[in-house]
Amino acid sequence: MLHLSILLWLPAAFGLLGLLVPSRSARWVGVLGAVLALAFSIVLVLDFDASGAPFQHVTDASWISALGVRYQLAITGLNVWLVLLTTVGFAFSMIWIAVSELGRDPRAKHVVLHLGIAQSAVLGALLAQDLILFVAYFDLMLIPFFFITAQFGNGDRVPATIKMIVYTLVGSLLMLVAAIAVGVLATPSGETVSYNLVEIANRGVPGGSQGWLFACFAAAFLVKMPAFPIHGWLADGYRAMPLPVLAVFSGVLSKVAVYGFLQIALPILPQGTADLRWVVLILAVLSILYASTLAFTTFNARLVLAYSSVAQLGFITLGVMSLRPDGASGALLQSVNHGVAVFGAFLAVAILGRRAGGSEDLRDMGGAATKAPIFAVLFVVVSYAVLAMPGTANFVGEFLILRGAWEGTAPALAIVASLGVALAAVYALRLFIRSSHNRVGPTIEPREGSRVELALMAVPVVLIAALALHPQQTVDAADRATARSVVRAANAVGPGHVQKILEADPGIVGVGVPQTFSEAPAPTGAQTAATGGSGATETTGGAAGQGGAAVDPNTGQPVQVDPSTGQPSTGGAQTIQIDPSTGQPVDPSVQPEGAGR
Amino acid sequence: MSPAEAAWIVLVLPLIGAIVLGLGFKSWRGIGAGIVGTASVGLAFVFTLVSLISMLGREEGQRQIASSLYDYVKVGGVDVRMEILVDPLSLVMLLVVTGVSTLIHLYSVAYMRGDNGYTRFFAYLNFFVFSMLVLVLAGNFVILIVGWGLVGAASYMLISFWYRRGTATTAGIKAFVINVVGDIGLVLGVILLLRHTGTVDFLETFATAKETFGEGGDGSLTAGLLLVMVGAFAKSAQIPLHTWLPDAMEGPTPVSSLIHAATMVTAGVYLLARLHPLMELSQTAQTVGMVVGAVTLLVAGTIGLVQTDLKRVIAYSTMSQIGYMIMGVSAGAYFASMFHLATHAFFKALLFMAAGSVIAAMASEQNLDKMGGFKKAMPFTYAAFVIGGLALAGIPPFSGFFSKDEILAVIGEQGGAYWILYAAGYLGAFLTAVYTWRMIFRAFWGPPVAEAKELEEGHLHHAAEHRNPATGEVEDTGVGFPGPDHHIAERAPAMKLAMGTLALLAIFGGLLGIPKVLTPLEHFLEPSFESALEGHAVHPGGGIIVVGLILGTVVGLLGIYVAYVIWAKPAMDGRGATAVSSQWQARFAPLHRLFLNKWYFDELIDLVIVRPVRWFGRFAHDTFERLVVGGAIVGGSTGAVRGASAVVRRLQGGYLRTYSAVVLVGLAALLVYFLLQG
Repeated sequence: MLHLSILLWLPAAFGLLGLLVPSRSARWVGVLGAVLALAFSIVLVLDFDASGAPFQHVTDASWISALGVRYQLAITGLNVWLVLLTTVGFAFSMIWIAVSELGRDPRAKHVVLHLGIAQSAVLGALLAQDLILFVAYFDLMLIPFFFITAQFGNGDRVPATIKMIVYTLVGSLLMLVAAIAVGVLATPSGETVSYNLVEIANRGVPGGSQGWLFACFAAAFLVKMPAFPIHGWLADGYRAMPLPVLAVFSGVLSKVAVYGFLQIALPILPQGTADLRWVVLILAVLSILYASTLAFTTFNARLVLAYSSVAQLGFITLGVMSLRPDGASGALLQSVNHGVAVFGAFLAVAILGRRAGGSEDLRDMGGAATKAPIFAVLFVVVSYAVLAMPGTANFVGEFLILRGAWEGTAPALAIVASLGVALAAVYALRLFIRSSHNRVGPTIEPREGSRVELALMAVPVVLIAALALHPQQTVDAADRATARSVVRAANAVGPGHVQKILEADPGIVGVGVPQTFSEAPAPTGAQTAATGGSGATETTGGAAGQGGAAVDPNTGQPVQVDPSTGQPSTGGAQTIQIDPSTGQPVDPSVQPEGAGR
Repeated sequence: MSPAEAAWIVLVLPLIGAIVLGLGFKSWRGIGAGIVGTASVGLAFVFTLVSLISMLGREEGQRQIASSLYDYVKVGGVDVRMEILVDPLSLVMLLVVTGVSTLIHLYSVAYMRGDNGYTRFFAYLNFFVFSMLVLVLAGNFVILIVGWGLVGAASYMLISFWYRRGTATTAGIKAFVINVVGDIGLVLGVILLLRHTGTVDFLETFATAKETFGEGGDGSLTAGLLLVMVGAFAKSAQIPLHTWLPDAMEGPTPVSSLIHAATMVTAGVYLLARLHPLMELSQTAQTVGMVVGAVTLLVAGTIGLVQTDLKRVIAYSTMSQIGYMIMGVSAGAYFASMFHLATHAFFKALLFMAAGSVIAAMASEQNLDKMGGFKKAMPFTYAAFVIGGLALAGIPPFSGFFSKDEILAVIGEQGGAYWILYAAGYLGAFLTAVYTWRMIFRAFWGPPVAEAKELEEGHLHHAAEHRNPATGEVEDTGVGFPGPDHHIAERAPAMKLAMGTLALLAIFGGLLGIPKVLTPLEHFLEPSFESALEGHAVHPGGGIIVVGLILGTVVGLLGIYVAYVIWAKPAMDGRGATAVSSQWQARFAPLHRLFLNKWYFDELIDLVIVRPVRWFGRFAHDTFERLVVGGAIVGGSTGAVRGASAVVRRLQGGYLRTYSAVVLVGLAALLVYFLLQG
């Protein structure tokens, strides 16, 4: 029985359990909890049916009934791989802590507790299908990191923590307000308030309010990533946080913000997304260029990775905001890839720091590869993943993102963003060369990694290799899930946008937004998409004439075919479809409100 | 065994070699790693022959075989399979790559013998061969880009093989970044083409190219091809993306021979040949290719005239020769360009090997000014260098003679403005002969230098202290540098065997395509260039071929004679090797400066790109981050910060446990509440 609540609360429970055991063994309790959660999520991924129902392993219970808030969890094509990334990341971090000085600290049980709570909160944010539940978990997941930074951080940990709190607090408050407003505004008079995401999406938020609501959500997500120019907390926060905690903070938590766009902002605020997406797109591209430049001018090894994260998240945001399945799937894939690469990169910085007498300044380093052939090779593979070298799955993600951006926004934007790829090569290799190559630096004592260090470092490298060989498994479920996520916003952007998506990928014709939150298959969705998929592989001229996608003889536009009757269907308002008479995409849930923008 | 099955085996063999070498790096003793590395590539060559034989057993109409293993990525209308395409074009390339690689591995078994990174070297080299095979065998654009990127990575690792030399790591990152710029062009070009064709598969793209883009092509096809050509130019060191190649000579000499002469740098030519059904539809793209090729071959030739670093002269020569191929393949001379690619691989690999032998005898000194008179001390190396030099200068009957002249014949045949390119080609051929023989005369003729005399007496010269010629830094003996424990061909049978085989190929490689007489290569390649045969291909008439052969011979001999007059004669009659050349340098001082400074391309790129970006980085760090991001944006909430800081300070004061407890209790309360409600 794969009850999602078990997975969700397991890490926190083990965190609490850690308080009850002697200080010395608390870390191993934490490791046990993280590994169990990892095992659970592996089972979930294996069990996931990519072409099945949109929501799987649904949990639905009343929570705060007076406010209409429900405890609703589900695995979807959007979150299934991010859940695995989360459990991998926390298990990695927990084991790293257990074998490092932090784990032998007398106060280690606090770290274990906080990380346990943080993991539960991240999983909750990923699994939540209720808006308020999402907001609650989203806010909760940051708090443990404040405590850890304030208690175990390095250097100016207090100002750093304050900065982080101030920034994220502002974002969180905005999001909370927006979330409540969304639920209330979407509820027709006389109905009860519901915060279920499907319900809100199908009810529709009035078009006039969507702009500021989207802005609030976007602010919270962009601060969390962070994006230029609201990244003020980043440098201090990254400098202060202990490295094993930072790895998971950078690798996993920033991805929840990306997920927030796909899961929350796009489906429920399509008009707001369409109106304001250029603001986000431009911030994303600025983030890529600006952060990349910072990354290859700073001498702090951590900050190179910090700024590289900002740049990578810029790419990922670009993919999401292309409002196309290819760009958005690329963004999901890249989230997983980047997370994995970051685990390895921060571990490498820790290993280097230990050899450089605690310094993380690149000017003190150099020649670390001397006498350390295994470490150097592992590090170079991680560097290649960070710079998205062709052959790694990071490249596949970037390819999909650039393709989505080229088609879904403007070619110029994709071209400018692609400069970031070249800059990534500069900062990633610079980090590698200045730390590991050249003459042996002034304070560094090169030596091979210990067995524990190398074994830990091998984990991300093996994952990078596995992802590189077969990236398809990670995007298998993403195609339809991202199509569901972007369909309304794409409609709101304009008929041309949807038209282009359909031309590129006839396979998703008929993929629909679910009408109800249940384990039932989406209306007409799965089968149509499955048969249409084979059509896509044979299509050469962009014709949508095979498989489940049919072409209307009068307009030449693809129309949706009802698989049960074989007739073009007229219902099914929640799917991508084209009105045969006008050639315009139809989405009744948006049309009445969105027409007046 | 079908050609495709054999090709899959070819593909994985070097990868297995690299993994075996890498995992067992501690256990390899002596030349064990060299033998394993050579064997894996040699076996790949054998299976390439199997694939070839199997291919020859098929009818000509069935010689394009695509084979895919699984879906690499299939999402949102992008459908990429893990796919290879075996056809005559990829097979020819495969033969060249595996064949030459085997010989260079064999050479390295002896040449790298004294290096501390012996195993690492062969692991990297095998990895490179694997990457190159991915590039060559790719059945679609995305897998091609994967191979394209992997060879860049392998090239980077091998350029900075001696990783504690600052010059080597700088050269490595330069090569990598310029190649990434090329990758970006390629990626964007493919995205643009994909938009119109709806597929990344080669055969599907080509089959529908005419319907998609129209007989005359259209703007988007041209734009897509130009972007793709950015990738081709970066990889093949064409102007203005060429500056990394001379610096790449920081790598060990076998690397220069394999990657930066024979195989990887010709990938751009291969790519354009592969894309010929698209290239033929865009006049603009073809013209750009021809002009860039022509300009590159001339500019590189002029630089080669005045450089004094032996390996860099050969590097500029490589650039120049690839200029011919790019020009040819853009002009529709596919067979001739592929032919030249093959013969160039033979004689250029040979030249580098011979240069490596000379450099070893000089105890890692690469400066031509300090060489001289090695003829007697190193007869085998000298013979190899002369054979390579004759082939490169295009003297009959050596292989370069037939292949280069065939490219130019096809270009001349088209008349009109093509005559300019034709003339540029022969002017370049003259320069080629001059700089090639300048190297030979300066290194081997004239009075022997101290190192040569020492060798004549039977022992190799060892420098008391090795210094990096570029920086004057004392070399780090731990990781190695060119020639700490060096090996010359005269004393290493493995090197002799490799060089001897290549010398034979450089002499007789021309038999693969004597115009109108003996054309097995052209005949074999025909199925890959079917569309070209439908009217795009130009078949030069007998007249122009004969004129070209005579012209080529005359130009080549003239170049050798000029080199003789300038460098050999004064050295022999006692005036000193540079007596005449320094007069020339004084007479054409501005030109000499221009050539010596490599036409100032490095300075230009530094001024236009590197400096502004660096400046912006400093501005962002020192000014923008502090004033705007840190000041204005945070400053707005300074009040909040002050308030919050008081709270957090209390946290620090020991209240943290209390707060942890608050979080816990809150969490527990939520749980209980949920349980009760549920």
